[in-house]
Amino acid sequence: MSTEHSCADGACPPRPGAPASHGAGATASHALDRAQRGQSALLGMWVFLATELLFFGGLFMAYLYGRTHWPQGFAEAGRHTDVVLGTLNTGLLLSSSALVALAVASHGQPPRRGWSPWLLGGAAALGIAFLSIKGLEYRQEWREGLLPGPGFTLPRPEGAELFFMLYFVMTALHALHLLIGVALMALFAWGTARVAPWSPQRRVEAAGLYWHFVDVVWIFLYPLLYLVGRAS
Amino acid sequence: MNDATPHRRRGRTVLLAWLALLALMLASLGSAYLPLGRWNVVVGLVIATGKSAIVVWWFMRLADAGALARIAAAAALFMLATQACLSGVDYATRFVEPAAMQQPQQLRPLRQGGAAR
Repeated sequence: MSTEHSCADGACPPRPGAPASHGAGATASHALDRAQRGQSALLGMWVFLATELLFFGGLFMAYLYGRTHWPQGFAEAGRHTDVVLGTLNTGLLLSSSALVALAVASHGQPPRRGWSPWLLGGAAALGIAFLSIKGLEYRQEWREGLLPGPGFTLPRPEGAELFFMLYFVMTALHALHLLIGVALMALFAWGTARVAPWSPQRRVEAAGLYWHFVDVVWIFLYPLLYLVGRAS
Repeated sequence: MNDATPHRRRGRTVLLAWLALLALMLASLGSAYLPLGRWNVVVGLVIATGKSAIVVWWFMRLADAGALARIAAAAALFMLATQACLSGVDYATRFVEPAAMQQPQQLRPLRQGGAAR
């Protein structure tokens, strides 16, 4: 663990609501306990994200199968996604990740202590903007008859419907993860503003890891769903 | 001032990483309109991998996360690659045979894709 994470390594002062320690031994033990909790919280998030990678991996595998079997259909369908809104959303998510990284870096650091709530709140706001734009895209695609099913309007070539099936499943699953991320960021923005005992460095950092992972998933969705078939 | 210096450095790292991510996003967008054939997707995925590496290394700070976290991340990538290879072998050697319970609307792309093989 980095020595920069002053609260995670047990070096930060006791919080106002924390129980009083009894003697030097108890203080050392308490500090060690806190350091271990800091490490285990982050490790737990990394292990959770490993399972999430395998969860999304199955969908990416399905995409690979469809794209290699029906390349024409995927290219034709890919041209019907909104590349402007998709690129805008990519920029929003990348920027939100930068805000979260800055929030984690400034959390609990006296000169910039007050920045964290604003940075986390900004990330949550960018997440909401992303979801709103995604909603606009869905509405547009619904109206154009791109929702798989009897009303699907792209007749040829084959595979276009499968592309949109994967498009909706993957982006909706991503949006669900992002919605949870927005709730987490908003919660910790509130918690860090109040210097609440339930929002220590390790939890904010673990929530940040989750947010960055959701960003990474989108980084791969962007070229596969929005940039396919643009040159042909 | 001494306390602020590492954090200022960290802020500069995040800023540079963010600018690199936006530049790579625009590069990815531009490359999609070049007539590269099947290399379009390769370029797109290589750029996406580069962007992910920036996020994982400088935002998620995997380098500072400790050996156990790095092992967890490596194990996830290894398992993903293993399962992708095993699934790939399965699907590459299998004909498309729609299930009897599927509706005609669902079967249409599968039948025509399968007939071409």
